[in-house]
Amino acid sequence: MSLPVYPPFRHPPALYRLARAFRRISLVVLVLILLFLGTALYSAVEVLRSGPSTGPFTAGFGPNDTVAVSGSLNFSNPGFYPISAFSVHLRVVNASHVYLGEGSFGPVDLPNGATQPITITFYLPVSSTGPGGSLLTEDQTLNVSVWGNATYAYLFPISISVETNKSWGAPFADLSIGVGTPVASGAGAVVPVTIQFQNHAKFAEAGELNFALVPLGGPSCGSGSFDLAVPPGGQFDQTTNVPISSGCSPSGGSLEAVYVGNGGTIPLPPQRIP
Amino acid sequence: MSASGPSSVPTVGYRIPSLGYRILAGGLRLLPLLVLLVGLPDAIVPFVEAHGIHVPVSIFTLSIAGIAIAVLSTARYVLKPTRAYGPLSMAVSGVTIAYLLSLYLIGTFVFDLPGHSIALGIGVAGLLGLLLVVPGIALVSGLVTTVEDLHSPGERLPFDYPL
Repeated sequence: MSLPVYPPFRHPPALYRLARAFRRISLVVLVLILLFLGTALYSAVEVLRSGPSTGPFTAGFGPNDTVAVSGSLNFSNPGFYPISAFSVHLRVVNASHVYLGEGSFGPVDLPNGATQPITITFYLPVSSTGPGGSLLTEDQTLNVSVWGNATYAYLFPISISVETNKSWGAPFADLSIGVGTPVASGAGAVVPVTIQFQNHAKFAEAGELNFALVPLGGPSCGSGSFDLAVPPGGQFDQTTNVPISSGCSPSGGSLEAVYVGNGGTIPLPPQRIP
Repeated sequence: MSASGPSSVPTVGYRIPSLGYRILAGGLRLLPLLVLLVGLPDAIVPFVEAHGIHVPVSIFTLSIAGIAIAVLSTARYVLKPTRAYGPLSMAVSGVTIAYLLSLYLIGTFVFDLPGHSIALGIGVAGLLGLLLVVPGIALVSGLVTTVEDLHSPGERLPFDYPL
């Protein structure tokens, strides 16, 4: 194929210059993207290497028949790029997959070089009538799902989900009662009431345990209370004599107890009196 | 305009390398391209999957796309002095765009870390969208070259192959 002969030019023709300019622009863009990607990867590794440092973990009785569990950690971003819209969510179900509670944090923006303390508090309902009633008296395994979202370095949406099982120590584990035979006392009668349990929770119990002896189908025929000061892992085993109404027999009824302390009022599951 | 002026200085000509030389140089150029576009992904994917991380792209797809881009790029190099250069440039860009688009549609890569109940998702659509700009611009460049070759065949050769 013979090509036509063009007059010699020192400068390339316009179309050639245009095509060359596009080629160079694409090369420059590619180099910039690769530089961005390289620094983003390096920064991500730095973020992973720094890792979050865990802070204090607390638990205790909360308002409205709940146990409040609070955990914290410090999350730092030593990389070159910001972490934006960072949020963490947490959901707890029991072994039967009954929903117990949830908590969340964020969204917050975490600029490069910043450290962000993260605190998540969630409340487990421990009302004796609710789905978490057994949390008061039964050690069990809880399923905790944690998931978080963020956008790293402007371009990379990241999500992480973690599912883990946590053992739950009941604050009134192995709760049992003993109601003795009524004994005449003065004009009326008293009945010895014994309450036993172990505190398997990670928090102390301090307050009062008020109880009432309720016969079958009838109003309370006597009540009493114990002072509680049970440390984590401690055991409670006390007996007290409760005056009861004349002619009232709690046998076959139930003992209804309410724990008052640590800022909360928690009804315990009724215990049947033999 | 003076004959001695800068714009009137005649070019001293150009020399197109022989076809054999271009094939040899293209072949040598093909090797690192194949390593980068085929060998590297084919090594990374099994390595990652051996660690229990599922990659939602098959090695076959990666290999075919990598081979297509490498071969077309080599053909473009060999045929640079011809009118096929522009269309081949567009073809390389087109295949690259299709390749990136196929990854773009996946959007998020989810890694299930073995031995842990942890799933990590990383969205790559933004990065791939940005990367699509590169073959997009190169596609326009190939189009301009095609138009130039149609309009003035051989006009660019003195500048592509200067002495």
